[in-house]
Amino acid sequence: MQTLLSIIMFGSLFGVLTLSLNLQYARGGMINFGTVAYFAAGAYVYAIVTQEPPEGLDQYLLGLDAPWWAGFLAAGVASMAFAILTGWPTLRLRGEYLALTTFAFAEMLNSLLINERRIGNGTVGLSNVERPDPAALGLPDSYVYAGAAFLLMIATALAFRRLLASPYGRAIDAIRDDETAAQAIGKDISRLRFQVFVISAIPIGFAGALYAMITTLVSPELFSAEVTFLVWIALVLGGERTLVGAMLGTMALIGLQELIRAIPFESVRAAEIAAAGEDIVTGILFIIILRWQPFEALVRRKHAE
Amino acid sequence: MTRDLLVVDRLIKRFGGLKAVGGDTGLSFSVARGTFLGLIGPNGAGKSTTFNLISGVLKPDSGAVLLDGVDLAKARASEIASLGLGRTFQTPRAFPSLTVLDNVVVGAHNDGETIGSAIFGRWRAEERRLRDRAASVLARVGLADRVNDHVGNLSGGELRMLEVARQLVRDPKILLLDEPTAGVDPSLQAKLSNILVDLHAEGRTLIVVEHNLHFLLRIADSVVVLQNGQLLSQGTPGEIKADEKVITAYLGSDHAA
Repeated sequence: MQTLLSIIMFGSLFGVLTLSLNLQYARGGMINFGTVAYFAAGAYVYAIVTQEPPEGLDQYLLGLDAPWWAGFLAAGVASMAFAILTGWPTLRLRGEYLALTTFAFAEMLNSLLINERRIGNGTVGLSNVERPDPAALGLPDSYVYAGAAFLLMIATALAFRRLLASPYGRAIDAIRDDETAAQAIGKDISRLRFQVFVISAIPIGFAGALYAMITTLVSPELFSAEVTFLVWIALVLGGERTLVGAMLGTMALIGLQELIRAIPFESVRAAEIAAAGEDIVTGILFIIILRWQPFEALVRRKHAE
Repeated sequence: MTRDLLVVDRLIKRFGGLKAVGGDTGLSFSVARGTFLGLIGPNGAGKSTTFNLISGVLKPDSGAVLLDGVDLAKARASEIASLGLGRTFQTPRAFPSLTVLDNVVVGAHNDGETIGSAIFGRWRAEERRLRDRAASVLARVGLADRVNDHVGNLSGGELRMLEVARQLVRDPKILLLDEPTAGVDPSLQAKLSNILVDLHAEGRTLIVVEHNLHFLLRIADSVVVLQNGQLLSQGTPGEIKADEKVITAYLGSDHAA
């Protein structure tokens, strides 16, 4: 049961990231290899906004002690602001150049969080992050947070679907298909791309805040490039064409990880073998899915009906 | 004197030191409102480059393009399109992920094409109106029964018609067509010719680049001939047909009278 809750919780949380990546890449044609940075921005800003002012050994400078919902909203704004900051100078770049630049931005942020201790205690991170107490709902914490993560993912998917099913989404598709032809019908491609980039960052910030609530810890090592690669793999697994695929792909990947973690190990050696096994199974799964694309086939069949 | 709709003024464009358009003095010509201008010249004369310079796909090294009195020097291609310049491409460009109808609707100016309209669902009324308009434009270019088809199923000629429809739905002040008959079968060519004549009769301004001289000289009312990026001759189709310089450029000096 605990494993299932973990799968739903983290699967939904990273599902939000995969959805955003789907919007940026599959629809907007932008390769963002720095997804984790927007996630980290949300988590850190949530922690900073809600934590108490520093005392004792704390090295951080700012703690606003605001309520959780203020922190949650601030996380979305922070992620959006970071997207504006990073998108403005880079979105003229194409393909792999954009990928490299966004990757570099994410590494810079990670490095900044490690070395500038006044933000969040450096490598130690911010622990005991405040979170709303769901006891009033009469349910265990893990149920509530798994539910909240799932709701956030569904809300994100619905909002994106609404956006993409509109004339705005059609213009986005046209730009990805052929930029020169889109310009010839008056589409301001740099403006639209920038908008998509910024919009898709907002849910990532919310997911970051929720992640901080769930783990009650934010530290640089939680926000390494591994997170970015995880969501990219999830996007490829699920097939980039649909939002449903993005969500299923993430659930499958997180599900595999959590199932292996749930095995009770007798020795350290067994755990090590399991960890290696997880990588091997992920790799094999990846190859199988790329070869037969089961999720895409599923969705295509549904469309054909 | 009424202002010319399009003025090309001493335009020069070089590619890697070679002069693609304009020579030393620059290329200049102007197009009055309601003109059907044919732009012709041998291969490599700079016709498509001239189109790309006018529509902002390329920026000139010097010289200016004025559309209805507005200098296009600083405008991006999308802004030039919004100012009322429509164009098609030498190789037809469609949006493969959109249906035939959507390929045309997306061309129209759409107030519902914003994030706000998408989120609040305030685009459906405008969308219905634009779909009707797009459908009637598609019917005009002979694609009425392909409305819900995928663009991948269209022939090369139909793709050209689709591109024309996508521009017509924008109601441009001036329409530039780059080799509209290339790869188009004779029956569709005849249809295209009728459409162009109709558009001209409606008072629209057209510039058409064409290899098919018979096609063009029959329907254009004014012709500009380019050679090596420079203006070789300009006049009515009748004058051009009789112009020795043009005959030499096209057929070689042996054929000159």
